[in-house]
Amino acid sequence: MFNLPTPQIGGPELFVLEFGDIVAYFSPYTALLFAFAILFTVLVIVSRPERQVDIAFGGDAYYTKEVNPDLLRFQRFMAIACGLATLGAMVTGDVFNFTLFASLIGITNIGIVAAYRNRHVLNAAFQYGIVAMLATVPLFGGAAIILASTGTLSMWELFGGTVAVPLIAKAFLVLGVMGEGMAPFYIAKAEITRAQGAPFILMVHVSSLLLFLRVMEIVISM
Amino acid sequence: MEIAYPVGLIVVAAAIIIGFTALVREKDDLHRILLVDLAEILGLVLIALVATDLAEALILPGLVVGISELLAVSEVYIAKEGFKEPAGPAFRIEVMDSAPGILALILVAYGIILSGFTGGAIAAVGAVFYFMCRGHAVQFELIETVSGYAWAIWIAAFFIFMFLPQYWFFGVMMAGGAILVKVMAKMSLVGTMRRGGPDV
Repeated sequence: MFNLPTPQIGGPELFVLEFGDIVAYFSPYTALLFAFAILFTVLVIVSRPERQVDIAFGGDAYYTKEVNPDLLRFQRFMAIACGLATLGAMVTGDVFNFTLFASLIGITNIGIVAAYRNRHVLNAAFQYGIVAMLATVPLFGGAAIILASTGTLSMWELFGGTVAVPLIAKAFLVLGVMGEGMAPFYIAKAEITRAQGAPFILMVHVSSLLLFLRVMEIVISM
Repeated sequence: MEIAYPVGLIVVAAAIIIGFTALVREKDDLHRILLVDLAEILGLVLIALVATDLAEALILPGLVVGISELLAVSEVYIAKEGFKEPAGPAFRIEVMDSAPGILALILVAYGIILSGFTGGAIAAVGAVFYFMCRGHAVQFELIETVSGYAWAIWIAAFFIFMFLPQYWFFGVMMAGGAILVKVMAKMSLVGTMRRGGPDV
């Protein structure tokens, strides 16, 4: 209608790194997302877990919550791994690699959420794990249908406009990413943001937000 | 190809509908894990239907991701239900005392004949079976060192492919032998997991 001159919503590429036919690249859009992800990964690496204090109502008494160092270490490792997987999903130029990074984010999110020995939290983590596993079916299915119908998985070819990607493949891709990025809902359900060692939980929100932004760019550009 | 792909897609779609319906109806958590694993296989089938070399290369990472998610969810399930490791030996069957030696020998020998990734997997099944039945008293450092050297040889074989392509046969032999040792060493560690090791 207004003839906006935007052939690709990501903008022109700034930097390209080729590993054979697997190409990692930055556009202004993905570079911004990458910088955001790297900022939060660094925050996770340097941050100290918080010590929570519960105050008993009706008196001066309070007690501090114990933080299990082993679980905390595991959770921090998972948060850093989740940050790295998010970085990978932001820069990759291959649809299948994107789906692999998305499922890696799903696995690390299970790890982050499951690092509590609380029954409600573990229940939520289990339900999320089921959803994340089911989401790999449409995720890989979408990539497979793209490969079967266009003969390529490279975003460079798919974004060109000369090949038509079927709508069902795009829908599958979005559905799969929705499943992998569902973790914040389960966190809200189990109220883990109020559990001990809370800063690492942020990584779940950051990764799913960035994953949604990236898959929207991919699906619109294809 | 032209007729097989749509027919395969229809079959997979029917299987996905059946699987997801079963998942909605199933209430037991353990059974849901098993059903989800079955549903995940369907994702791999969708990739396999493409039936090109590239699709073949995509199946292995897809499988690895699926298995790791299955492991993660199973660990969450164990923690959720509060299961403890059994104190004594879990079960005793006579064949587990008599068979391991000969079966492991046959499997390992056959795996070495096959060589490569498949051979490594088959030989590893023999080693896993042996360790599961007989217990183990090995130094894990030794297995890890062997596996590390095998990995280095494997990488060296790739450099031969890239820089000295005329010696490709030597490279194939190196890569085949090294991946055999590496897969076998990695998988045999699996067999030692549930049998009272000090550090596993």
